[in-house]
Amino acid sequence: MRWLCTLGAGVALVIVLFPVYAIIVGSFESTETLFSGTFYWLPHAATFDNYRTVLQGSSASTQQTVGGSQLGHVMTSLIVGLGTALLALVVAVPAAYALSKYRMRVTVLLVSGLLVAQIVPSIVLATSLFIVFHWIHLVNTYPALILADGTYAIPFAILVLRAFFFSLPNELVDAARVDGASEWTTFKLIVLPLARSAVITVAVFAFLAGWGDFIFALTILNGAGIEPITLGIYSYLGNYSTDWGAVMASAVVALVPAAVLLVVAQRYIASGLTAGSVKG
Amino acid sequence: MTQMNMEIEAGAAPRPWLSSRRKQQLAGWLFLAPAIAYLLFAFALPIVYNVMLSFEHTSPATIANFTAPFAGLANYRAVFQDPTSREAIVRTFEFTFLSLLFQFIIGFALALLFSMRFPGRTFARSLIIVPWLLPLIVTGVIFRFLFQAEGGAINQVLTNVGLTDHPIQWLNDPNLAFWTILVANVWLGIPFFTLLLYSALQDVPVEVKEAAVIDGAGAWQRLRLVIVPIILPVIEVTLLLGFVFTVKVFDLVIGLTGGGPANSTQLITTWSYNLSFQVFSFGQGAALNNVLLALALICSPMYLWLSRSSLQRSRGADT
Repeated sequence: MRWLCTLGAGVALVIVLFPVYAIIVGSFESTETLFSGTFYWLPHAATFDNYRTVLQGSSASTQQTVGGSQLGHVMTSLIVGLGTALLALVVAVPAAYALSKYRMRVTVLLVSGLLVAQIVPSIVLATSLFIVFHWIHLVNTYPALILADGTYAIPFAILVLRAFFFSLPNELVDAARVDGASEWTTFKLIVLPLARSAVITVAVFAFLAGWGDFIFALTILNGAGIEPITLGIYSYLGNYSTDWGAVMASAVVALVPAAVLLVVAQRYIASGLTAGSVKG
Repeated sequence: MTQMNMEIEAGAAPRPWLSSRRKQQLAGWLFLAPAIAYLLFAFALPIVYNVMLSFEHTSPATIANFTAPFAGLANYRAVFQDPTSREAIVRTFEFTFLSLLFQFIIGFALALLFSMRFPGRTFARSLIIVPWLLPLIVTGVIFRFLFQAEGGAINQVLTNVGLTDHPIQWLNDPNLAFWTILVANVWLGIPFFTLLLYSALQDVPVEVKEAAVIDGAGAWQRLRLVIVPIILPVIEVTLLLGFVFTVKVFDLVIGLTGGGPANSTQLITTWSYNLSFQVFSFGQGAALNNVLLALALICSPMYLWLSRSSLQRSRGADT
């Protein structure tokens, strides 16, 4: 019976992971193999050509859809991801602290606002934000993209951190106050160090949101200048023919951070995935 | 930040205990200030502006001016008279309903499976979240690869099993393309449903389950009469959030079908993008956006109600 469960879980895992496996294998196939009309379950004549195309911008295939190196896109995505994480922390950590450890009239209003904000579809924000950024001459800049990507991360971050701060005893804060610490000192020296794991969880999710964002990159950037990896993949798709080797190698590059974080920060990811919604 | 520090300390200096209430209020507002400013800029402003845009005669030239001539209901009329928009709205409902149905069934089955004790379950549970961590555009691209007519894994399997003798044109047949975005989205939602339902199942007290066994309840009865009622609040939240995620789906469709062939996979989101950023009819795009926003916000009273315990929670009475 127990082994039957293992078997069931194994089958489920194969189905869930197969698409990821397929793209990793595909990224090592030659153009001839990819366009041969046959799908190979195992690597067939593996080659690094696609990665060479993608990372150096020189094409090994016969037809090159787009030029340019994806390395620049990786750097752009890293900056956007880190920027989003930083913005989320600066905005969310103090706010979550105030919403859990201070008696404020606005608490219910603000928390309701945050819950509703999570519901608002990004495309609704993207259309208006594009024109607003256009108006204040921020289109095609990092700050614009990071500000927009913050919409994925910040409501979630505040709610998760708030739930965490509730778990810290109020006496901790009161004791610091009695000892004469200012509100800021209490926050900085007593509360922040204890919030380390929750802060990491939030930062990981904010980074992934910024790294994986496509909607805002597509709408707020106009193609000149900065271009994150998600847009790079999209531009390889092409209208009539798809350069599959390049597409898949870039897609694999784009899922590297997720893979790395899954290994390095598994604990934080697992807690973050459930924290926002159930306990929220 | 130093300024904040100084203000707080300045307020505290003369008579710390008498002014502590006001000092705390001030500190609280300062801690909240960045978040309030951000919410106003990134949520309130775009939503209000989107409503304004939907009543304006926009053109590529008007973008520079921030406002455009008043148009009354012209944009809404145009959107509701356009067959593609109407189809996109209906399709969004179908897509959302079918996605949630399959995600829930598969997610619940996996959650029950992972609640059993079996070798390798921790390992399996940690890998099941992989689909969730991928950039959505990557998921779209992966499924575009798998659904190719020639050389796609799905046709290969169907041919090998003998279900078809010719390559099925998944992505080129307007009648079939819808199923590709549905399959991809169900795949994408499995980790979310599995994890949330799994963690709810962990919270069902063992004694309750044992009592049901002693009372002679079969597995199906235990599930239906004992477990489901206990985890019902989590099921509601999960379906609600699933609904909200699904009506927002955009990247996946762009990466997989681009809304085609012949607009057969356009959802409200992708068609709104098309109206605003391909045709540059921001007014009509905004009108369709508001339809989407209304659809998403239908859920908000229920979401707030389900989150009421967290909402009403504030600092204890000792302040």
